[in-house]
Amino acid sequence: MNFDKEFNARGLSCPLPIVKTKKALVDMTSGQVLKVISTDTGSVKDMAAFADQTGNTLLSTVEENGEFIFYMKKK
Amino acid sequence: MLRENPSMETSILTPTVVWSGFGLGTVFGYIANRTNFCTMGAISDVVNMEHWGRMRAWLLAIAVAMIGVNLMGYFGVVDFSGTLYANKNLFWLGLIVGGLCFGVGMTLAGGCANKNLVRLGGGNIRSLVVLVFMGIAAIVTMKGVLGIFRTGVLQSSPVTVHLENGQLLPTLFAGVEGAATAQLLLAGVLALAILIFVYKDERFRKNLDNNLAGWSVGLIVVAGWYITGHLGLAENPETLEMAYFGTSSNRPESMSFVAPTAYSLEYLAYATDVSRVITFGIATVFGIALGSFVHAWFSKSFRWESFASVEDLSNHIVGAILMGFGAVCAAGCTIGQGITGVSTLSLGSLLAILSIIAGSTITMKIMLARME
Repeated sequence: MNFDKEFNARGLSCPLPIVKTKKALVDMTSGQVLKVISTDTGSVKDMAAFADQTGNTLLSTVEENGEFIFYMKKK
Repeated sequence: MLRENPSMETSILTPTVVWSGFGLGTVFGYIANRTNFCTMGAISDVVNMEHWGRMRAWLLAIAVAMIGVNLMGYFGVVDFSGTLYANKNLFWLGLIVGGLCFGVGMTLAGGCANKNLVRLGGGNIRSLVVLVFMGIAAIVTMKGVLGIFRTGVLQSSPVTVHLENGQLLPTLFAGVEGAATAQLLLAGVLALAILIFVYKDERFRKNLDNNLAGWSVGLIVVAGWYITGHLGLAENPETLEMAYFGTSSNRPESMSFVAPTAYSLEYLAYATDVSRVITFGIATVFGIALGSFVHAWFSKSFRWESFASVEDLSNHIVGAILMGFGAVCAAGCTIGQGITGVSTLSLGSLLAILSIIAGSTITMKIMLARME
């Protein structure tokens, strides 16, 4: 999947992946896609809740080699 | 009440209390893993995305526990006037400073004591490091070098308010005589207000996990009080006085996780000392990790997790130490003060949990600001 910005939240515990996602989205424009890589199991529910609450679209969540990869489209 | 053979009965009393604690802990751990129940997560959801779902679950647990506890108090099933939360000395500075430290600590350490036990069950080795450091810091603050600072400064007499009738709000407002009625009224009004706030949200009403978490945690806290404060109360065959069996404090207790983690470490270290016994609190600690493991295993979410970097490791260690120190100064954690304590309508518990929330919120705001 194409993306415009990426950040690595490997090894970070809650709440850092969400705090960093929030920060990363601030500098992006509507329609751009953010890729986030996380290893925290809690981040799956957190990212879904974040998208649901903020109106950004969680395009996909995949687990690969013990890591979670999220694609979030800014509203 | 006379017992025909008190020594026989009391000999099984401690194991009954302890095994019940283990069972309750296991259910708690299973549900917390399944529902993602987390106090720090609840605060983070509110602060970072204005999402109140998990905070509502946490408030629901308080309301459920409050109703159960105060009904038991009103009908004389459990006497809460002798518990830690009714203490005649209100160590306000210790509660505030300890609560703030705990709030900062849990935000750095990926969650509070309870959450780290749940994470450990799910395969997170970081949490084991957090729990060991937190436990050691708690021991050091209880009876080690920091204990001197705690009793000499944070809980010293100039910063302590003495309340002759204890610090439970009903006795504080209505005195000992009027306490029973005041208890029912106050608990009823507060619990109703919380329930209205919780259930006015349509998304919460439809969210099974958050409902399950709130109701279960609240009922587990009530069950803990019932077990230690009612089942565990009997005549001690040696002293012929009524005593509470199976708890570390020899008083009624319910869910709380920092001191019990510290006692678990002490038990592991000094098990051959006959005065060291497994208590209700220790059993709940192991129960939480086991219950969480069971859920993680069967839902195939069990996975080993470790530290990512030196910074990550040091953040978790600093957080763990702040939690251990903070919880002992504030006499409890997010669950111990936040739900178990608040359910007794203790003024100190309210002060402690508000400080914990403030410490956590400030830390999250700083984290966000530092990234800019």
